[in-house]
Amino acid sequence: MDHFLLLVWHAFLVAVFFAFLWRSDRRGRIVLFVKTFLIMVVGAVVLGWLMFPFP
Amino acid sequence: MADKDQRPTIDDASGTKVARWLLLVAWLIPGLGHWLLGKRRRAGIFAGLVVASFVTGSLLHGELAVPQANSPLSWFFTFGCLGNGILYLVRLLALNGLDGIFSSAFPYGLHGGGDPITAGFFYGKTFLYTAGLMNLLVVLDVHDIARGEKS
Repeated sequence: MDHFLLLVWHAFLVAVFFAFLWRSDRRGRIVLFVKTFLIMVVGAVVLGWLMFPFP
Repeated sequence: MADKDQRPTIDDASGTKVARWLLLVAWLIPGLGHWLLGKRRRAGIFAGLVVASFVTGSLLHGELAVPQANSPLSWFFTFGCLGNGILYLVRLLALNGLDGIFSSAFPYGLHGGGDPITAGFFYGKTFLYTAGLMNLLVVLDVHDIARGEKS
């Protein structure tokens, strides 16, 4: 089981969900999807690296 | 396609009853609330997302949240997970059977499934809770659309 793939899959589902929940136009949905998806994936990886030195 | 004026709303004369019925249906079957309001594309997408998240959680051996004695927080988790509507109820029934659900210890003593030994246990729980919370937000969205506060 690839943990990173699960992270990406989870981020994808949530990003699509909020894009359709909060935006009604096509461009707005795409922008919100990309923002949410990147924040979740990149944010989780960065946070993971920042926590790396700690026990 | 349903006539716009005949769609369920809260504002019309029999509004309150219709709205409660609509919200109950929206909770019970993900996407059906939007479908009844004529938002069929969104209905399909929301239903697909909730079901995909729930199935992923189940395949990862995640555990459904159930109330536990001496653990008040478990009620919050249960509320979130209960947001899955019929998906939650059917899986709970499959795990516990009718005897288990209607035992004397109800609402305690229910089995939430899942396998804590597997690597996907906590990921599975996350997906199951995510699905439930997404569906609760979908219900609120149906409420806003029915009141005309959102298109």
